Amino acid sequence: MVLVIGGSGSGKSSYAEETAVSLAQESVREITMKKYYLATMQVFDEEGRDKIDRHRNLRRGKGFFTIEQPTGISCALKKMGDGDRIVLLECISNLTANEMFSEKKTKTKMQVAQDIMQDIKMLKEQTNHLVVVSCNVFEDGIAYDEAATEYIQAMGKINRELAALADRVVEVAAGIPVILK
Amino acid sequence: MRLVIGGTAQGKLEYVLLKYGLQENTVWDGVLPEDAKRKEKPVVINHFHQWVRSRMVSGGCPEDEIMSFLDGSEDCIIICDEIGSGIVPIDPFEREYRERVGRILVQLAKRAEEVERIICGIGQKIK
Repeated sequence: MVLVIGGSGSGKSSYAEETAVSLAQESVREITMKKYYLATMQVFDEEGRDKIDRHRNLRRGKGFFTIEQPTGISCALKKMGDGDRIVLLECISNLTANEMFSEKKTKTKMQVAQDIMQDIKMLKEQTNHLVVVSCNVFEDGIAYDEAATEYIQAMGKINRELAALADRVVEVAAGIPVILK
Repeated sequence: MRLVIGGTAQGKLEYVLLKYGLQENTVWDGVLPEDAKRKEKPVVINHFHQWVRSRMVSGGCPEDEIMSFLDGSEDCIIICDEIGSGIVPIDPFEREYRERVGRILVQLAKRAEEVERIICGIGQKIK
């Protein structure tokens, strides 16, 4: 499992895609290996649509099957074929926001973090390789309201646990991978 | 071109001045030098993110403008804050600004002969 983190516009998505593609190519079972892209973003407006179009164009021709899964990420497993698979999950910041704010606010930040980690462990067990993209949302120094603070804390917890679980952790800065683990 | 990035107040300018033996009065702050004045080498541009912002406010295209500037002045050190590591701003302009600075840095890093990232005044060469 590989964890890729970075800020906005850092180039983390394209690095994560390259990683998934090269993991598939390195595999001895390259021919039967299916690549899945788990998309978590919910679209509400034109900006969201543009963002999705940009990401689709980035992935074009790389052979990913896209599964839209804004919440309950392990449900995506039921939508995949059997056999060898590489999963690229993008991204934890959307997934966490969807889990925390879309529902009727029934979950605490710790429950959200626990549920997401449980799902990701399941994904990791049932895939040959898992590449997870997450965001650095921690360094703008702004004191936010309670809801956003809870979100930042949940993200921090999830990122730490993902990093502990991952075999490799990479931070992308200005498109350049910096290996952290 | 050399690119120096990092969080705010990490000592990026001081690092550059010391490393290259330059004086602060030769540094361009948040602006690109005009052609005629470009005598000093290397050209140091500090607070590059502020230049991007000012070009966006004026309706310019910072992505193209910086590349054509570099075509005429490759001996250049660009210093820029990393501003993308926070919560997505509610304001659409701020969102766009943050993302465009990030993407311009990706393009500059590709073109740069060296990229250094400064934290606590310490430079880490990442390219």
